[in-house]
Amino acid sequence: MLENLKNTMSAKVGRRSFLKMAALGAGVGATSSLLTGNTLRAATEEEVTNPFPGSKRVKTICSICSAGCGIIAEVKDGVWVRQDVAQDHPISQGSHCCKGIDQIDLVKSKQRLKTPLKKENGAWKRITWPQAVDEISDKMLQLRKENGPDMAMFLGSAKFNTQQAFYFRKFAAMWGTNNIDHVARI
Amino acid sequence: MTNHFGDVVGHSKAILIIGANPAVANPIGMKHFLQAKDRNNTQLIVVDPIYTKTAAKADYYLRIRTGTDVAFIYGLLHLIFKNGWEDKEFIKKRVYGMDKVKEEAAKWTPEVVSDVTGIPTDQIVQTATLLAETKPATVVWALGITQHSTGTSNTRILPIMQLALGNMGKKGGGCNIIRGHDNVQGATDMCCLADSLPGYYGLSEGSWKYFAKSWGVDFDWLQSRFASPEWMNKKGFSLAKWWQGVLQEEQTYSSSPIRALWVQGNGLTSMSQTAKIQEALNKLDLLVIAEPFLNEAAVLTNRKDNLYVLPVATQFETEGSVTATNRSSQWRSKVIDPLYECKTDHDVMFEFAKKFGFYDQYTRAMKMDVKEGELVDVKKDFVWPDDAVSEIARTLKTIGLGGWTPERLRKQQENWYMFDPVTLAGAGPMKGQYYGLPWPSWDKKHPGSPVLYDVDVPVNDGGMGFRNRFGLEHDGVNLLAAPSVTVKGSTIKGGYPEITRENIEEVLGSKLTDAEKQKIGSNWKTDISGIIQEKCRAAGVAPYGNARARTIVWEFPDPVPLHREPIHSSRPDLVSKYPTYPDQKNNFRVDVKFISEQQAREWVKEFPTMLVTMRVVNLSGAGMLERSSKYLSHLTPEMFANIHPDLAFKYGIRDGDMMWLHSPQGTKIKVKAQHNQSVTPDRICLPYNFAGVMQGVDLSPNYPEGTKPYTTGESSNTITNYGFDVITQIPEYNAGLCRIEKA
Amino acid sequence: MSSETSRMKFMCDSSRCIQCFACSVACAEAHDLPVGISRRKVVTLHEGVEGKEVSVSIACMHCSDPPCAKVCPVDCFYIREDGIVLHDKKKCIGCGYCLYACPFGAPQFPRDGAFGMRGVMDKCTMCAGGPEKTNSAEERRFYGQNRIAEGKVPICAAVCATNALLVGDAEDVSAIYRKRTSSRGKGE
Repeated sequence: MLENLKNTMSAKVGRRSFLKMAALGAGVGATSSLLTGNTLRAATEEEVTNPFPGSKRVKTICSICSAGCGIIAEVKDGVWVRQDVAQDHPISQGSHCCKGIDQIDLVKSKQRLKTPLKKENGAWKRITWPQAVDEISDKMLQLRKENGPDMAMFLGSAKFNTQQAFYFRKFAAMWGTNNIDHVARI
Repeated sequence: MTNHFGDVVGHSKAILIIGANPAVANPIGMKHFLQAKDRNNTQLIVVDPIYTKTAAKADYYLRIRTGTDVAFIYGLLHLIFKNGWEDKEFIKKRVYGMDKVKEEAAKWTPEVVSDVTGIPTDQIVQTATLLAETKPATVVWALGITQHSTGTSNTRILPIMQLALGNMGKKGGGCNIIRGHDNVQGATDMCCLADSLPGYYGLSEGSWKYFAKSWGVDFDWLQSRFASPEWMNKKGFSLAKWWQGVLQEEQTYSSSPIRALWVQGNGLTSMSQTAKIQEALNKLDLLVIAEPFLNEAAVLTNRKDNLYVLPVATQFETEGSVTATNRSSQWRSKVIDPLYECKTDHDVMFEFAKKFGFYDQYTRAMKMDVKEGELVDVKKDFVWPDDAVSEIARTLKTIGLGGWTPERLRKQQENWYMFDPVTLAGAGPMKGQYYGLPWPSWDKKHPGSPVLYDVDVPVNDGGMGFRNRFGLEHDGVNLLAAPSVTVKGSTIKGGYPEITRENIEEVLGSKLTDAEKQKIGSNWKTDISGIIQEKCRAAGVAPYGNARARTIVWEFPDPVPLHREPIHSSRPDLVSKYPTYPDQKNNFRVDVKFISEQQAREWVKEFPTMLVTMRVVNLSGAGMLERSSKYLSHLTPEMFANIHPDLAFKYGIRDGDMMWLHSPQGTKIKVKAQHNQSVTPDRICLPYNFAGVMQGVDLSPNYPEGTKPYTTGESSNTITNYGFDVITQIPEYNAGLCRIEKA
Repeated sequence: MSSETSRMKFMCDSSRCIQCFACSVACAEAHDLPVGISRRKVVTLHEGVEGKEVSVSIACMHCSDPPCAKVCPVDCFYIREDGIVLHDKKKCIGCGYCLYACPFGAPQFPRDGAFGMRGVMDKCTMCAGGPEKTNSAEERRFYGQNRIAEGKVPICAAVCATNALLVGDAEDVSAIYRKRTSSRGKGE
């Protein structure tokens, strides 16, 4: 039966153009319509070039390891709709490991923290940003009053970009302590 | 990294990977090593306690006993010196102190090395021969080298070997250290560190004054922010032992105990001594955690109050630059706006700076610029991150970030396809720049330096000598490079000192105007005016000098690196011959045990199995990011340890059985045994990327609703043994002991 | 090099494959597969055994004479002119004969309602979608992305961390591999 099927697919499409070829079914019963011999044609430019019409391609960098692989993020209406490889990136040349190609899922993960939270009497409670900032600041300043600025320890991260890292160090300096460190210590 | 991945593909004839597993931790780095193998028949030598995925691709695999790297390299150096294979010219002209290394190496015959490291003598001879005959060779390492009580010695002995072989400052040579996180290089360069200021400026008053000036604030004000002036110049607590600042079980030296912990993006469960961290988290007065995903420190603690979790945007919801492992800076564009109620990391800092009352001082420098050699206010508002990029570029002279302007970095990203992957050189409109402007990129015209210390390339094209950092002479020996070592295109013949206000006219042989003398900083590192850099460019001179690399660090406990047995050694018979350091007083504000811990007991009697930690490819760091991905978490659904069947059956443990692992600190974890032959029966190996279970207790109830990752498990760090490096205080993760018990 | 008769093929260079799972995760992510459906797997043999360990990435091999199609009782398979073996999920009855026939374990069977169709077989499409309208929402829902139609390389091979996984005309793939092995040591 397979031979039969192959023979029936009579559309002649040049080898080099196969990438542009689109199989177009006529809705329900697609396979049977394949047998009609009219099912393969060159797709229109729009159909084949962009499944997310109107999306823009943003060049960015993977946030996992220090190799620094390039990422193409396709964004439509403020939503990251697809992650594509950056074949022309001088370090990665399109390659990723499993973590790198999954960066879109990192952003979209259900487990993201969505609001400020506070533990009160052993239970997690949702609070607003202004409340969080006020309460934390009051406590920090009260402890500072009691013990001086070295009562705080600031732990930063290699997950900061370079500008944020610089400003985190400056933050500790202006708070008035050298109790600051990040993951380069490990 | 002194060189870069593409350079290995293009030029390396041999690669020695020791204490790194790029196939798992840095697969794209590994691709380059495999390309080198395919293109240049590059010989790949892998030295590791475990037969890793990287080892599986090696031409030569050497199984080393954990914590004996210094001994192994001395074994190679022994043969190199004995056979006269060292690069005598290079050593004579560009190195200081190799004689002392040679003396120590003389002790390390292949037989002695084999006994200490467990590597057969013929493999030691074979490796030494191969490295002597195959040039250039590069050395690659990562955390398997650094995470030891002897980490500093380990990281010194490898470049020493490269100096002996004449492989430094050469294409295809160098020390290619693979860093961890995406911006660990950048964050380290910015020195979110307890012992330095951004750009590795020390904590001296001179540095602080320079930064006060660069930040546009009054030095006295900045000083008044500290407990008292003396604390400004003292190292703070480190990430490794901050918890002693809370618990104060060991002697601490600070103006205050630690009462508040502020965590931004730092996976605390990836630190050793998790049980101690748990105690400290419980005892704090305030714990603030700002992250995109729940930091599992928040579930590790049982505290009921004063624990805040703030939602922070991922790096795809903000923009800025990140520095890759090869010192290349890449522009990371914002993909989407922050989701939910998330704020960016810098917005969190800005919010609190306002509350803490220093917002104006904090942001002032972003509104300033250097005009006619002086730093002045230039505008009312700042633009993030561009103005921060400019501030960093004009401030951090030490590592040469002057060329990292926002305009250049953005342009490079737009045109990243114009750069050659092997050389990183740009073409077309990007001609005259290397990709990412690898630092040092001294000024706005500088192309970046893809290969460090290459004297055959002009400074203005990315070449340089070794840095003059340790004075002009030591023990009567001139520390500057020999007269014959002239950096190509330089007007100065041979070595020269770092450039200061005092010596600039003499060294560069040029006259400064009175106006220039007025504006110039005291040396190249603190010259806000940029005049020193200008003069250096004209003379083809690196402002940091052209000196000798030193193999002796006279201020360290071991001036030349020495082998010292791990604190919890599997070979008690070697402990008396190669004891660890004396106990240490006040490093990063806390005492650290060395010899007293090593000699407290014959640990190996009760804890007979070596404990090695490892990465798995689908998880990184504390693992909370990837364990929150449905696809990645699925690859390793639970915590496990790799154990050789012979060892497992000794305890009646079948493949898939649960087992308890006990540590000398009295902690324990319960993990699944996975029979595996990558480990020998004397050691086990386990990933460090799990958390959420603590000494058999499931912490699931502690997660806020909807934040628990798909997979949780015991953290290996609960049982990593006590031990810290004598200089950096990096914890000992990789040379410990444990006891196995069937669960 | 490619001729009118050559076919699209995958090839995994086991001297390069490091079992990093990029291909497998990229595939799952790109096509929004349910967890547990592995169109592409990475297999390691002799794990941890010195000198013997070898890894390889496996999916539907898009056979020239596919046994799956031979045994399919409802004839849901079809072969594109370029050799890509596809199937019609609307025809498939989820019987599993194809899994018995396939030497590579390529056919996957979701436990419940994936793609809205309980028990229907799923497999690698070489990122060429299915019989529905190209790049339509329906095609994406049933089969995932159609990168081939966009002129893009299938995601698994495009993303491969070490360029172990090759895809393209059989002749092109073999030419790349031949060059890789024969140029060894010549700096090319």
